[in-house]
Amino acid sequence: MSRAWLVTLATVVLLPVFVRHTIATEIWIFAIFGLGLNLLMGYTGLLSFGQATFFGAAAYAVGYLLKHYAINVVLALAIGVAVGAASAALVGYLCVQRSGLYFIMLTFALNQMFYFTAYQWTTVTGGEDGMPGVPRPEVLGLDIHAPLAYYTVVALLFVLALWIMRRIVESPLGKILQSIRDNELRAEALGYNVPRMKLVAFVLGGAFAGLAGVLYAMLFGIVPLEAIGFVFSGNVVFATLIGGSGSLYGPVIGSFVFIWLSESVSAIWARWPLLLGVAFVVVVLFLRGGVVEAWARYRAWRHASG
Amino acid sequence: MLYALMGIGLSIITGVLNIPNFAHGALFALGAYFLVTLIQLLGNFWLALLLAPLGVGVIGIVIEYGGIRPLYRAGHDYQLLLTFGLSLIVTEGIIIVWSPVGMSQLPPPILRGGVDLGITIYPRYRLFVMAAAALLVLGAWLFLERTRYGAIMRAGIEDKEMVSLLGIDIHRLFTAAFALGCVLAGIAGALTAPIRGLNPWMGVDMLGIAFVVVALAGLGNLLGSIVAGLLVGVAQSLVALVWPEASVAVIFGVMTVVLLVRPQGLFGIR
Repeated sequence: MSRAWLVTLATVVLLPVFVRHTIATEIWIFAIFGLGLNLLMGYTGLLSFGQATFFGAAAYAVGYLLKHYAINVVLALAIGVAVGAASAALVGYLCVQRSGLYFIMLTFALNQMFYFTAYQWTTVTGGEDGMPGVPRPEVLGLDIHAPLAYYTVVALLFVLALWIMRRIVESPLGKILQSIRDNELRAEALGYNVPRMKLVAFVLGGAFAGLAGVLYAMLFGIVPLEAIGFVFSGNVVFATLIGGSGSLYGPVIGSFVFIWLSESVSAIWARWPLLLGVAFVVVVLFLRGGVVEAWARYRAWRHASG
Repeated sequence: MLYALMGIGLSIITGVLNIPNFAHGALFALGAYFLVTLIQLLGNFWLALLLAPLGVGVIGIVIEYGGIRPLYRAGHDYQLLLTFGLSLIVTEGIIIVWSPVGMSQLPPPILRGGVDLGITIYPRYRLFVMAAAALLVLGAWLFLERTRYGAIMRAGIEDKEMVSLLGIDIHRLFTAAFALGCVLAGIAGALTAPIRGLNPWMGVDMLGIAFVVVALAGLGNLLGSIVAGLLVGVAQSLVALVWPEASVAVIFGVMTVVLLVRPQGLFGIR
């Protein structure tokens, strides 16, 4: 077991001791979300600005089923992953037709389409008020209403997701995706079907987003309209970038910093998105590469100075 | 027509600077708010309509100079985050300076009321907006096609390196292009204010639409932006007649169909 794994596991165990359980849970949910985006952004070089589409679609679909049909948790999670993957397949199929700026704009525009659908379809989604009353049923006969019990479930799923993501990026598929990121033409010349590989990355990323969406809905008992909005898509991009994209632990660190900061600041000041915007600008102008790179630079500097 | 105006502005910015400008919608909203405040200060609609977009343009220059310039060599992800951050700052700034509650603005007295067009009675202000937007689109097109600066800007879309080799200050071109795009967004916002009223998030819908227009037209394709803007506008108002709830979603539907049939956009070459 590597040191990074030990640190992660220690953090998972110790976090609820220091941080409020709801926030601790949200951190790992957001980290799962970020892991999915990072597969696209960090490993395939596809900047998706519409991840909230898959997150929100899964949250709404499963929230509806949980409310009206009282399905069990395992099935709910499976459906969430499936909805996330399916919506990502749909959106991804359109988006991989284009690259560069077009790609980003398309992911954003389709995100808007899902947003307006959710906004108008009030009978199912509750429109602007969100979809309240999402229950949190028992898992394998255990009651998970206590915050710490739910934290345990989410944390276990996060560790599982992290392990799966590590397997993905270290697999041949992961290497192909990275070769697309580094040199798309060469990957194509080597005989890989680049659009299809991109689509695979999209679907996998969507599946992670879907899982995160379901966990989010069960955490707060509501699917807010914001969960499918483009600001949410922007937040996960930001969290991944402050952590450092292209490294496995980047989005994990990023969501840790992002959720913790935004939860503490938003409690103090209602206009906190202003600070968020300022933080975006500062990070982009002065701290490119994120925490992981800053840490690497610090280590290199320490190493150099003895 | 307003969509065409937004589309051209965004098309110039994305085409020349090659960045995704997520602040475009926020600048649109800023144009509308500037208009309202200037009317309150000056008491003159026309002067305000002239000055509000220029104000947005000045803000655009500041943004380009301070924020975007250091990032030309960075990836799209950072440029996107920067403009996204800026749009959050502008939106929250609007909430702090004005208020989170929506506002309304009456058109000037001459343009109130309706005109009998024979078949139907149409609000006078909307006719004015259509005419004004058409003139502006025409003006922008003439500027880009017939003047020296327009030629430089189009050359910048084609090949930046060549333009700078010819001794043209590429940074000044970038600043000018960004400012021009911002001014167009500001005008569109100011013209919209008396029709739809104001709220801090009014730019978000517009941003999505502008992206669709640009994606349909092909990046940097200015004539295409005009046609695509009209197409989206007409499609939307036709659907709004029969099924109002779907009028926003239909825009994205149009885009989806076009991109499936012609992945390079209606007029795109790349």
